[in-house]
Amino acid sequence: MTPAGHFFSYYDILLLGRGFLTTLALALIGCLAGCAAGFAAAILRTTHSRTPAPVRAALIAYCMLFRRVPFLVTLMLVFFAIQSMNANLSTFAVALISIFLISTAYLSEIARGGLESVHENQWQAARAMNFTHWQTLRLVVVPQAWRVILPPAFGFFVMFIKDTALASQIGVMELTSAGKVLGNKGLSAALVYGTILLLYFLMSYPLSRFGKRVEGKLAAARNH
Amino acid sequence: MSLQFAPILEQWPYLLGGAWLSLQIAVLAFACGLLIGLFCASILRYGPPSMRRLVAAYVTFATNTPQLVQIFFLFFGLPELGLQLSPFAAVLIGATFNAGAYLCEIQRAGFASVSPTELEAAEVLGFSRPQIVRYVIFPHVIRAMFPALSNQFILMTLGTSMASIFGVEELTARTANLGAETYLSVEAFIVAAVMYVVMTLLATSGLAAYGRMVQKRP
Repeated sequence: MTPAGHFFSYYDILLLGRGFLTTLALALIGCLAGCAAGFAAAILRTTHSRTPAPVRAALIAYCMLFRRVPFLVTLMLVFFAIQSMNANLSTFAVALISIFLISTAYLSEIARGGLESVHENQWQAARAMNFTHWQTLRLVVVPQAWRVILPPAFGFFVMFIKDTALASQIGVMELTSAGKVLGNKGLSAALVYGTILLLYFLMSYPLSRFGKRVEGKLAAARNH
Repeated sequence: MSLQFAPILEQWPYLLGGAWLSLQIAVLAFACGLLIGLFCASILRYGPPSMRRLVAAYVTFATNTPQLVQIFFLFFGLPELGLQLSPFAAVLIGATFNAGAYLCEIQRAGFASVSPTELEAAEVLGFSRPQIVRYVIFPHVIRAMFPALSNQFILMTLGTSMASIFGVEELTARTANLGAETYLSVEAFIVAAVMYVVMTLLATSGLAAYGRMVQKRP
């Protein structure tokens, strides 16, 4: 091992910056796509009559299963499955698919909880006023549910920024991988990983503070 | 693509041993984290302001950085400072460090759920201090905390999979080994995923049964 006396060069900082943005992109794109799919899944689960029972059962099973498999295992599974299908996807895409699979399951649970927090009477009242199912959802339920959905959904996103560190295992050049590269170059591991920890903190802390503030405001608005 | 599970399933004792180690790591880290969390939550509630700030800083730091990088720091960074940890020790310390912070948050919220008027009522009724803890505080706290605690345990069980990165031979590492030996990685990881699902389902139902038992006892 070379003596750990060096500090970051210009290119090292560039690498760290790029890793930082990749980490943010992974979490953001994966969670936004997961949010859309999870919300759609939660809404499908509210349509008791129109969606066939097997579809609803499959959705429930999906949400249950993917919240009980470690992210690392999902990542490896997607990685090897895509490899065995000879699909030529980048590791970034593989990580994105894995994040999408997991975040869909979690966010669908969060959205379902939010939709169910709206009292059954509201559904009945809307039906009495001859609203269709979609009108009820769009005009009555979702406007009340999003206050309940938003804080935990945001919390999940912030939590998942940290979990993307595992994507370094399949070789995505995100923040943790950048740290590994710099460590292998002979920089002090304590310095490198200390910096990486700090960078993750700089990414996660303002977002979690922001999330807490929004949560407080929404809770205050609800209690009026 | 046709899946062949037989060569993987033949190795079930090997995988089951890995799952056992995963569970051991999770339980150990959870138990230590529970103690650290209790200690930190008590400081946040009763400690002097300087200590409170220190604990708050620890919780903020641990919950806002990835556990994986924390363990990287412990495993690769600390040897430079003269402390060489074994992979198992690094993983366990990292998991405990993380669990302590999350469990501190959960327990703090649990203690906050006991309303002061109930404590006053218990005092008026002539309850002794241990009786108040046993019959007033404990039932409240356990009811408020139980879902969050059991959820945290599940997350930690899933989190143990990152021990494989440091060469601890738990379920994920053994699955990767099997996959490399048999060239059946997809099948191996499907089996591992199912094992994790079964493991966490057993843990959830076990914890729920325990929770009912604790809450029912007078």
